[in-house]
Amino acid sequence: MEVTKVENNKNYEINIVHLYPDLLNLYGDKGNISCIENRLSWRGIKMNVIEITSHNRSVNFKNADIIFVGGGSDREQEIVCKLLLEKQDELKSYVEDNGVLVAVCGGYQLLGKYYKTATTKIEGLDILDIYTEAGDTRLIGNVVLESGLFSEPIVGFENHAGRTYLSEKYEPLGKVKYGKGNTGDSGYEGIIYKNVIATYLHGPLLPKNPKLCDYILEKALKRKYPDFSGLVPLDDELEIKGNKHISEKYI
Amino acid sequence: MRKLLAVWIAKLASVVGKIVGKKSSATPGVYALKVCPNLISILSSNVKKGIIVTCGTNGKTTTNNLLNSALQKCGYKTVCNDLGANMLSGVATTFAQACNIFGKFTADYAVLEIDEASARRVFKHIKPDYMLITNLFRDQLDRYGEIDTTAELLEEAIDMAGDVKLILNGDDPLTARFGEGRDAYYFGISEKVLPQTDETKEGRFCAKCGEEQEYNYFHYSQLGDYYCTHCGNKRPELSYPATNIDLSSSMKFSVGNKKIDVNYRGFYNIYNILAVYSALDVIGVRTDNFNNILRDYKPQIGRMELIEISGKPFILNLAKNPAGFNQAIQTVMLDKRKKDVIVAINDMESDGQDVSWLWDVDFDKLSDANVKTLITGGSRLYDISLRFKYANMKVDLITNDMRSAIKQCALNPDSEVCYVLVNYTVLFDTQTTMLELKDEFSGKSTLLEARNGGDESGK
Repeated sequence: MEVTKVENNKNYEINIVHLYPDLLNLYGDKGNISCIENRLSWRGIKMNVIEITSHNRSVNFKNADIIFVGGGSDREQEIVCKLLLEKQDELKSYVEDNGVLVAVCGGYQLLGKYYKTATTKIEGLDILDIYTEAGDTRLIGNVVLESGLFSEPIVGFENHAGRTYLSEKYEPLGKVKYGKGNTGDSGYEGIIYKNVIATYLHGPLLPKNPKLCDYILEKALKRKYPDFSGLVPLDDELEIKGNKHISEKYI
Repeated sequence: MRKLLAVWIAKLASVVGKIVGKKSSATPGVYALKVCPNLISILSSNVKKGIIVTCGTNGKTTTNNLLNSALQKCGYKTVCNDLGANMLSGVATTFAQACNIFGKFTADYAVLEIDEASARRVFKHIKPDYMLITNLFRDQLDRYGEIDTTAELLEEAIDMAGDVKLILNGDDPLTARFGEGRDAYYFGISEKVLPQTDETKEGRFCAKCGEEQEYNYFHYSQLGDYYCTHCGNKRPELSYPATNIDLSSSMKFSVGNKKIDVNYRGFYNIYNILAVYSALDVIGVRTDNFNNILRDYKPQIGRMELIEISGKPFILNLAKNPAGFNQAIQTVMLDKRKKDVIVAINDMESDGQDVSWLWDVDFDKLSDANVKTLITGGSRLYDISLRFKYANMKVDLITNDMRSAIKQCALNPDSEVCYVLVNYTVLFDTQTTMLELKDEFSGKSTLLEARNGGDESGK
């Protein structure tokens, strides 16, 4: 299976900031970075991945075009939260300025007001009007979502004790056709706010959802280059097969 | 008596199982325990010298079976769950099958691999005298939860075990901590061997204080000579250190007064051998011909298992998580021959339904491994193919037909060896297919030879 290198418009450059991959690396989520990287470079778009680890005190979101934050165990999430609280205002203004932010699982929870378990309450970054409370059971299994963004379903795998409650002003990422979603019974999964996409979906999220990846890339490119006319399509035959394998199995 | 009935039922179920070709060696135990819930504790009284339990994420079966083999070669009678049925029902089956029709067996040692999450349940029925723990890696998160959960379950189990001697992998910070305040002996590799990799490092943060920990040298995953500058936690002193490691042609190293020299493949096997050596020493069993014991050991299915098909070596290997797969890839890379590689991944219940972990495996390294053909398969063939696509590696064939894939590789004039890397539920059928093809091909060549010989004087 040859990967066709497709020439897109010239001289575009995207900076991807990967937050704390050393701490939040629970579930193959770095595959999302791989997906973003390649779908840009296959189109001839230059990209740089900047990893912010727990060592970097000087976190800078000024030049960030896409920020990605994954999930980890409770212990690691607490550490990351403390680190990011130092950058709370900067992150808030990045989001309000339509900065693209992709957050998975723990990253999703961190964006809210708090995450409460039986024993502790972890303060969140308060970027989104959401909160999470741990339930008695874990919500584990494959997920198929109907999305308002495009016709193909979004597929993934969830594994979380947290139930995340959204303020009504937000759009979810999708409607649950199979799986549990944000709370197990709300019927919805994830959240979209401006250019923030946050979700519980592993898989990883992007490789089997190429339209979602391209949606994210286009948002980032259009924000940086107002004249950007759109991404050249790639050969997604394999990605679609992977997607259908899940969506057709469970629906 | 319930015990007798339970034993007979288990034996009958095993026979029936074999007839219908079922591979499960746990189901008979399920029935037996229904009839006699105390079966395991009753039957364990037949074990005279000691109960040895092996736990850990990777290497349980190899370590357990090698230990069993060693004890037998030293003249001891053992009862062992060598097929790897390592939960409560598997233990029940193992004991029941060992019995004669009077419900008794003779054994010096019970040598049992036990699934970490089941240990608490099993230790309600039997208490181990010795407990070997090989390692703790992230594995099947949807079945076992986070690695912290597994560690907690094991702590509970060890507490229940009471007066137990622990034999622990000192190179693994997550395993070594079980030894604190307990009667523990540590094995490990006490010199730098491999170049560093950047795998996902579980437990790279100090198991005690949570700060980042350092390594004097590092082997793979989180194993190495670790130390924490913040709280002072570090690798314990190794009672059984391996030194003088030489993997250039065979596997050579020294431990204690022994020089190991065997044809095992896979760096991780140093740990399996070390574990067995240490356990034997702690138990007090003398081994004068350890190398011979190692050489005679027939590895269980899919542990770098060599099967020749049409004169070409095929190596079938089982891996179920990033640590296991990365080690397999390391081994493939150390093999300099031209090779075909087949990777097949299933997602049935015992595999774990989630395959996100594939993206934590260093598959990209295979692009430097002299690979001629790359084939993907299994129920999640598209996922593993995507993994390669996003590593910018060309997959030559995506197929559910393992038989054709293997045949193609057997007939490929361009390769000298073929590695077949699979996860759990792909394993049995793949081995069967490979053995069938082996016979088919050797049948053919024998036939050809006969024809060629006949032609000289024939028409």
